[in-house]
Amino acid sequence: MNVSGRVINIIDLPGTYSLNPSDDAEKVALRHLFLEKPDLIINVVDASILTRSLEMTLELIELQQPMIVALNMTDLAEKKGIEINIEELQRQLGVPVVATIASHGRGIKRLLETALLCMEERRCASHLRWSKDVEDRIHDVERAIPEGFQVVANRRFTAIKSIEIEKRSFFRMLEEVSLPLKEAVDKARRELEQRHNAPAYEVIAAERHHLAMKIFEESCRVRRGKRIGWQDRVDDVIMHPLLGYPILALVFVGIFFVIFQVASPLEEFLLKPFGALRIFLGEGLGDGILFHVLDGLTQGIGGGLAIVLPYFIPLLFLMSLLEDVGYLARVGFLLDIFMHRMGLHGKSISPFILGFGCNVPAISATRILESRRDRIITSLLIPFIPCSARTTIILALVAFFLGPWWAMGFYLFNLLLVAVLGRTLSAFFKTASPGLLLEIPSLKAPSLPNVGRKIYIQLKAFVQFAWPILIAGSVVLGVMQFAGLDRVVNTLLAPLVESVLGLPRELGVTLTFGFLRKELSLIMMLQSLGVDYRNLMTVINREQLVVFTVFINFFIPCLSTFAILWKEIGRRWAFVSVALNTSIAILLSLLARLLIN
Amino acid sequence: MISLSQAPQDKQLKIVEFQGGHGLRRRLMALGLHKNDIVELDSRSILRGPLLIRHVNSDSSLALGRGIANKIIVEILDK
Repeated sequence: MNVSGRVINIIDLPGTYSLNPSDDAEKVALRHLFLEKPDLIINVVDASILTRSLEMTLELIELQQPMIVALNMTDLAEKKGIEINIEELQRQLGVPVVATIASHGRGIKRLLETALLCMEERRCASHLRWSKDVEDRIHDVERAIPEGFQVVANRRFTAIKSIEIEKRSFFRMLEEVSLPLKEAVDKARRELEQRHNAPAYEVIAAERHHLAMKIFEESCRVRRGKRIGWQDRVDDVIMHPLLGYPILALVFVGIFFVIFQVASPLEEFLLKPFGALRIFLGEGLGDGILFHVLDGLTQGIGGGLAIVLPYFIPLLFLMSLLEDVGYLARVGFLLDIFMHRMGLHGKSISPFILGFGCNVPAISATRILESRRDRIITSLLIPFIPCSARTTIILALVAFFLGPWWAMGFYLFNLLLVAVLGRTLSAFFKTASPGLLLEIPSLKAPSLPNVGRKIYIQLKAFVQFAWPILIAGSVVLGVMQFAGLDRVVNTLLAPLVESVLGLPRELGVTLTFGFLRKELSLIMMLQSLGVDYRNLMTVINREQLVVFTVFINFFIPCLSTFAILWKEIGRRWAFVSVALNTSIAILLSLLARLLIN
Repeated sequence: MISLSQAPQDKQLKIVEFQGGHGLRRRLMALGLHKNDIVELDSRSILRGPLLIRHVNSDSSLALGRGIANKIIVEILDK
């Protein structure tokens, strides 16, 4: 970004509570800090929970690098009755502090100007003093660090971390590198443990905790009894042990119906011009290759615009809204016990909920889970969660032709499936899931610009990445139809498509293309069967519609999902996911055929 | 002295001890819970679900699983 004529790179790191990482997301922040060696650290601090936030600030100060503090959410702090003396805070911390209210854009300019100044002057943070005996131990270790030792950040930081770290592999490494150093570290830890009657890392953590509290007390005043009105009252209802659940159910159903009510009429309206265009092309160009290519193009573009977007955009809007308000963390609290039945716990809720938008960021989000077991189970379950592409198909096919209650039933069945599957998968893993430990942020009024930005990012990804695939896929199918290739593929797949699934043979190619992107199969279904959207039910019956939806919904995660599974949990599990999805898709399709007949 | 999961709601509680391994303690400390901190129990979920506690000083809310709450020993402070 461009600030006062200078171009600076701003890198946003995942939220971290401490430089001792407990999950993969925190490790990313740590890795970046040490490998990339930024010119300046901007520590964004939540002023409404200042003591908590300051502990991280103190850890960052130990790095002794150029650093400024952005004291954010000062409006929330004020509402809680916390008065912060910024000059005093600055004096206590020894780094510049700029008050900001990011959701309203206040203080950003001043923050960036201070940042630039700090970078130019290369003003480094200097460490704060802890209790004497702890400081003495740290000095002992510092002195034992040999020349040429690969220090992390600076000698003091290295000394502190050496005392804090509990891993055996670290001790072994120390032993190999410098025996005197290891002995000094051991001695320091022993002395701390004896003196304070607690493990060494706890002593260090306590130091930071006390220092944070001390700084807070000296630079802030709290007007007691001034609790925020509406947030607490709303929370009492939303997270009520009994009321919370019906409310959650209502929210869920509400979202569903809102999207459907908005999207269906829009879809009908937008389809007309594309239908007309196709007829026009057919009349003008006959059956040549040009027709097929242009027809494919029309279907791809039209499909994206008229079928996908009307459902996708409202879905994005509502999900971003819920996330912005802070409701999603509370859902984690409410659903924790049910997640336990699945062998997971409430923290997995966040990736699951993201999965309703798109499976790809959901699988990335499993990085917030601390145990690999949880990550794997959650990542295997996410492809069963109906992403927006699949929701679009469910709505556009099942809801549109059979009615919204059918679609609702489908959805609920889908969720039930995830629960049962979760339970089964957990049985394969021997270790239990670590308990829930989830921070619940304060409720806040949604910031529409924020929501808008979130929607924009997702939309951009769709337009740049997914839509071209839709168009290309349609064009390729068009060419295949012209060359008669599609008939070849369909014949090959006929045993599966016709005998097992009971679908018209023409859908063979469609189902395979669904691997690229699920919406593609929706559009190509129309293309393969050679019908207009509204006349779909003339060529397939109700049972086939449901079976098609079931199969497309569950079989093989789409290409992007597969790619990210491979990246996040490894090749073996990615293929396990494919096998799992395909077998369940076939099983459920058979079940559907049985039940509907 | 009782465990957090048995504590009464809406009374100030002082954390006296953490039972359990150092993995758990680390996670708790990373989230700002230390010995001698004062917390309040805001709500309990149904059945054996999680608890919602609030750290009085920093006014931050945490959801804790029942198993974890069992391992946090507190003392009720009479005001």
